[in-house]
Order: sequence, then structure tokens, then C-alpha cells
Amino acid sequence: MINIIDIGLGNVSSIQNWLRSCDFDSIRINKASRFEDGPIIIPGVSSAGIYMSKLRSLSLDEEIIKRASSGSKIIGICLGFQIMTDYSEEDSGVRCLGLLNGKTKYLKDKKTHNGWEDLSIDTRTKNNQVDFSQRRTKKVDGRVYFNHELYVELKEETYCHVLDNNITSFAFKKNLFGLQFHPEKSQVTGKKLLSLII
Amino acid sequence: MSFRICSTVLLDASSNVAIQSYGFKLKRVLGDIKSVLYYLDIYQVDEIHLIIPFKGEGSNPVSLYNSLKFIPLSSPLSIGGGIDLKSLEMISRDPYFERIIFNSAFFDDHEVIRYAAKKMGHQAIVAYLPFTFEENQLAIYNSKIDAFCGVDDKFWDDVNNLSNEVILLDAYAEGTKQGFSFSVLDFIPLPINKFLISGGINESDIFHAKQMKLAGVSIDNKTLHNEFSLKGLR
Repeated sequence: MINIIDIGLGNVSSIQNWLRSCDFDSIRINKASRFEDGPIIIPGVSSAGIYMSKLRSLSLDEEIIKRASSGSKIIGICLGFQIMTDYSEEDSGVRCLGLLNGKTKYLKDKKTHNGWEDLSIDTRTKNNQVDFSQRRTKKVDGRVYFNHELYVELKEETYCHVLDNNITSFAFKKNLFGLQFHPEKSQVTGKKLLSLII
Repeated sequence: MSFRICSTVLLDASSNVAIQSYGFKLKRVLGDIKSVLYYLDIYQVDEIHLIIPFKGEGSNPVSLYNSLKFIPLSSPLSIGGGIDLKSLEMISRDPYFERIIFNSAFFDDHEVIRYAAKKMGHQAIVAYLPFTFEENQLAIYNSKIDAFCGVDDKFWDDVNNLSNEVILLDAYAEGTKQGFSFSVLDFIPLPINKFLISGGINESDIFHAKQMKLAGVSIDNKTLHNEFSLKGLR
């Protein structure tokens, strides 16, 4: 069962549609007592200040951190990835979950990044960060959809890909999976990726 | 960043069906909205711009927008038409769309645009500006008064500051392949990479738009008429 954080913010229905299209069951989580065993998805499409404030008011921030440290898989999508870092510049500065050592910053000159970029993940490439050995899917090639104005800058080693414009496209570390793009809106590639990370 | 081939879909609020529009006047039924979105998703269009062409005031799109939530799309979706503060509050609780498209708000309701940017980020804001361009006179459509009108530099400053991208619709060419009026771009003081052009788009327009490094094109009815054409155009 996949837990999707649903606090009245974020594109939860789109995430559910994506999971359903690949035959994964999911449950919407709005309180700590509702979690089931399985991966946790933090969705995107909101802003860090509002989102963190709501997470804290429901004590879900502590629960996510606790579950991450006990090995639950955490998948952050767009904003979900950004709040996995220590701090975000959005909404005049927000302390975030601190699962990944780094910061989320505005793109240079407050520009935004909309559109499609190539993605290539070959799990046979040697890395010390994520164990893909049990995965049936070994490689994902295609294009993915980005729509954001902040980006993640990490200070620790991860299995990651950084685009030409210095944007971290994805960063994986043990049970933590951060995706700056929207896999749920990345058509065929998004579905392939799901079978790799879930 | 790759050039985008997007599709514009018009949704008639009274009948809940997708419609085709020609020259900003003639409307014809295109089909069930779910089927239209489903097929655009299958064709892997780069982005879908779903517009409910409300005219005048007093529209209430919330239930219509919320009903779209259950269409399982794997393509990016932008929505626009009749969105005010109240409806925005409702639909942004679980946005199944990535971006919001505004037209008349750029003329007289910046508050709703700022609120949308606060809720969903500046990257989510798209301006939808149908235009006419005759004898070097540019007029922009304002849906609230259902009329094309002249605009000043302040208007363009606001569009530039508030929006992330701008869909420029050549109104008279809408629904045809007669060609987009590229000369209008010389009269609009915005960065060229902000434009998604629409109306009259044909193959040579796409080539030209790519050369000019525009953000992309948004094709109307024709995307559905030529079902496997999108990859070739890309």
C-alpha cells in the first residue's frame, strides 16, 4: 500500500491516477495514525511555507521523519522533493524536513523552468547510494515534465542527475527518492519510472 | 529545454462537451470532453490547455473543473475560464492541473492572479490573450466585456510580471491552418521565450517558431484531426 500525504494541498488526485494506471493501491493520509506499511509519497503543486505549516499542525512532519529513519521509502515530487531538504527560500524562508542535506533556492533571476527534459537512469551504473539489485526494471529512458521556480542544491552525495542549468533532476539516497519533475504527468516515462522506484 | 507542441481544447460549460472554434466565432461540437482529453493523452501532446470560454461575469466553473479530476491524464494540463478567488480556493485544494490560465484578470483583477501564484507558484500562471492585428493595430480580447480592446505599456508590464508564459491566440486564424501573424510579436514588449502561439498554426509556423526560440505552439482542433502527427511535428 502506498501512502500519499493529503493535507488539502498538493496534486493528490493526479498522483492517485498515476498509481492506479500502474495497478498500485494507495491510501490518502491526513493524520499520523492512518499510515500503513509501505512507501510514502509527498506530492507537489503548492508552496513550501503553506505546506510545511500544515504538515506541522498535523504532526505529520515528525511522523514522516520517524518513518524515513526507520527505512520507509519516501518519494518527494517537485515541492515534495524540495521540502525533503533542510531549508527552502520560498515564502520568505522555511525550515523543512531535513531528510536530505541541502537547500532549496529560487532559480537565478527568479526564472521558472517549464517543459520537457530528457531522463536516463541506468541502475546497472555503479553507485553506493541506492540498491537497485532487486529491481526488475534496470533502465528508464525518455522525457519528463518540469514545472517549477525553485531548485534543490544538495550538499551530500546522492545518486543524482543535474541538468545543464544546474537543476537537480532527481536525487536518490537509500530509501529517499526526490524527483524535481512530475512523473505523474510524464506520460510513458513516468509509468516506467514508477516500476523502478516503488 | 525542448520546444513544446501543445493543444488547446475548448469546453462548452452548458453542454459539457468539447467544441471547435473557427475565427473566434463559429462553434462546432468536437465530442465528449473525456474522450478528447483521453486521446490527446494517448498522442502524448506536450501540454493540454483546457479553456472554458466564459463571456461576461457571473460564471461558476467549480463543479465543472472538479468533475475533470477523475479523468486519468498522464499529460500536463492547464485550465482556464471563469476562475475567481472563490473558485480558485476550491479547485486548488487538490489541483489535478499544473497551471492556471487567466484572461480578463490581467485587465482588472490582479489579486486573483497573485493569490493563484501564492497557492501554486509563479510557474503556474499563464496569460491567455486572443488578439486581432490589423493595419498594425493590436487589440487584445477581454472576456469580461467580450470585446477586443487596445492595451498600453502598463498592461504588458503587468502581464510580464504576473505571468510565467503567454498564449497568444490569433483570433481570426483560429481553427484554420492559414498561418499565425508572426508580425504581431514585434508589437509586444515581452521576452520571446515566454510565448506559446496559437491560431492558424501550420507546419511552417512550427518550424519558424522553433527557429525563433518561442516556448512552443498550442494547436487547436487540428491536433485531433491528425492523430499520429504530433511526433512528426516535434
